[in-house]
Amino acid sequence: MAMLNSNGFVLTTVDELLSWGRRNALWPLTIGLACCAIEMMHAAASRFDLDRLGVIFRASPRQADLLIVAGTVVNKVAPMLKLLWEQMPDPKWCITMGGCASAGGPFPTYSTLQGMDRIIPVDVYIPGCPPHPQGLLYGILQLQKKIKEKGVKKYDKAFEEFKKDMEKQGLIAREITV
Amino acid sequence: MPWMNRATADRVKFEFKDVEVEFTKHTTNLHVKQERLIDLMKHLKEKEGYRHFIDHTCIDFPDTKERFQGIYILYNPDTNERVIVKTWAKEGKLPSLEKLWACARWAEREAYDMFGIVYEGHENLRRMFMWEGYPYHPLRKDFPLEGIPEVELPSLTELYAGRTDPPSHDFELVHTRVPTLEDLERTEKARLQKKAQLVLNWGPLHPGTHGTIWFLFDLDGEKVVQSDVILGQLHRGMEKIAENIYYFQFLPYTDRMDYISAICNELSYATAVEKLLGVEVPEKARYIRTMFAELQRINSHLLWLGTGALDLGALTVFLYAFREREKIMDIIEGNAGFRLTSAFLRIGGVHYDLAEGTLDVIKAFIKDFPNRLKEYHNLLTRNRIWLRRTKDIGVITREDVFNYGLTGPVARGSGVPYDIRKLEPYAAYDEVEFDIPVGEVGDVYDRYLVRMEEMVQSLRIIEQCVAKLEKLPKSAPYVNKEHPAVMSPKEYVFMDLEDMVKNFRIVVHGENAPPGEVYSSGENPRGELGFYIYSTGGSKPYRLRIRSGALYNLSIFPKLIQNGTIADAIALLGSLDPVVGETDR
Ligand code: SF4
Repeated sequence: MAMLNSNGFVLTTVDELLSWGRRNALWPLTIGLACCAIEMMHAAASRFDLDRLGVIFRASPRQADLLIVAGTVVNKVAPMLKLLWEQMPDPKWCITMGGCASAGGPFPTYSTLQGMDRIIPVDVYIPGCPPHPQGLLYGILQLQKKIKEKGVKKYDKAFEEFKKDMEKQGLIAREITV
Repeated sequence: MPWMNRATADRVKFEFKDVEVEFTKHTTNLHVKQERLIDLMKHLKEKEGYRHFIDHTCIDFPDTKERFQGIYILYNPDTNERVIVKTWAKEGKLPSLEKLWACARWAEREAYDMFGIVYEGHENLRRMFMWEGYPYHPLRKDFPLEGIPEVELPSLTELYAGRTDPPSHDFELVHTRVPTLEDLERTEKARLQKKAQLVLNWGPLHPGTHGTIWFLFDLDGEKVVQSDVILGQLHRGMEKIAENIYYFQFLPYTDRMDYISAICNELSYATAVEKLLGVEVPEKARYIRTMFAELQRINSHLLWLGTGALDLGALTVFLYAFREREKIMDIIEGNAGFRLTSAFLRIGGVHYDLAEGTLDVIKAFIKDFPNRLKEYHNLLTRNRIWLRRTKDIGVITREDVFNYGLTGPVARGSGVPYDIRKLEPYAAYDEVEFDIPVGEVGDVYDRYLVRMEEMVQSLRIIEQCVAKLEKLPKSAPYVNKEHPAVMSPKEYVFMDLEDMVKNFRIVVHGENAPPGEVYSSGENPRGELGFYIYSTGGSKPYRLRIRSGALYNLSIFPKLIQNGTIADAIALLGSLDPVVGETDR
């Protein structure tokens, strides 16, 4: 919680500051799988302009902290996506865009993965076939809200380790009340 | 498009005594014994001029002795005639035609993958879409649509959050087989034997590959010594789905194949089904269809322009092109209610009448768009970098167009005026005027110019459609609701008992199609999209084959990139413009 005191200083916790920074600079990985990817491109292009939200597509998983799964995930591509997810550094989030990525969508077939959450944990599901770009914007705002409420610790093993290290060295941040 | 005439059929019959000629309502079929297949094909190609390879697929008849029937569709560009050659596989084997047509290699790989037919003489018979080690052949009739569940895959979201009561997720725990990374590595190794220095993987998840195509380049320095393309990263089983649902239910699925030109796909599909069912389409619907198909073509070419230029480093064009795309999307959304996968057409017409004010918006667009095109030309056409990257890269000769079954702007870029809209007019294309632009050299630059000019021609068509639609009265029918297999529009269904009963019957039992076969195609922005429907009667097709233009256009890629550099691969791929939803289906 940030607040303004009488001297014009903004006071906040480090956690809150980090989370604020993170949720306003979600960098997704540039990956398009199928039809939904076209709508994702539209969301990023001239009219809807995702850059406004600090969402800038990165081509390398090492620089990304958000995976937008836009399109049908078939069985063959599932292990590759999982590999990319594992290559992304913590903290990281995943949005499934569209019916296919969320739950198999209109393809209950032999070759389609029935939902992205079978291989990686998902934070926000966006329904639609494809969702309108506004739907994607809404999903990203939902994710920001989620990060704000729940913090970043969920899949954050590396961060936990880091915290433990800090604790050991006695450097852990304490709550400061004003 | 006419089919093989009787005189030619008689000539063939004279040469090959045991060939049976069959004239069906919509096609001409030659039945030949498996041993004579190569001779017959060679004769058709070299003597009769059937040198354009359109498609090859198989049909599974589990109750017959030989079980698999191979289907080949050929086209004669001199007389503008098609023919279907059929042959029964012997003990699950067919001869490979790759010596005659190079693209047959890919079609045969696909048939091997889907049916398990072995092609004798194929250079490297591997699975086309599934991975090495996948044990089934999905398009066989005894394989279920939903596959065979065999591994446990729980929802991880639920695992993290804990199982609630009632469960937050509703899913089957047991899932179909998912490959491991080792499986994929085996797939890769099986495709390409390393000859030069290093094998570079490009894709499948790379923004430059326009989706999820997986390229393998065997490199010597920067030079590509050999390459191969692995597809199937978006294989969703469209053809299997089509066999399991009613004709009208498959229409939305066609949107999701070549998702950039949804309405063109629908138009091709609806035309094929209407041929099979014998449905006439009212005049207004034909013009609405044509108009929207052309809008969609512009839309699709704009995406090609934007992403193709983006791949070569021109970001501005991307933003400009998407600005115009949004305008077209709005027009489509205003009429169909959906931006991308619009499902606007229906068997027998279109879903809605034109929305209020549509024609005015389109007129404004027609007025504005030529200036925008000029902008693109200013940015690219004489741009020195653009010229360097595209001129004399990836030259396709005329013979290769036929050899590789190329269609669409890729064929026209090499000077082959193959355009279904002229050769076999559907919708209202025979009533509007337009020209077919063709290239001279057949390089990337020519294909670029062809597509740019096609947008101008599309504008011309749209203009004529608007003029015509303005003259038609508002009350003119937009769907042929008198036909027993065509669903009535919503406004009648709620008012009229008869219409309601009819719709109810179609929704529950499907349309009742007569037995027979149809091959019908449409000119998509990515080449000829054909539908081969084999019906044994009833409301579901026995076999529905989708002839994908993008797949065949892509099949020339390994040849073109040979001895080229990696940088050219990007320009080249952009100019072939495949969409993975259609190549993989
Ligand atoms: S949800 Fe619909 S639009 Fe999105 S990838 Fe799946 S089929 Fe395509």
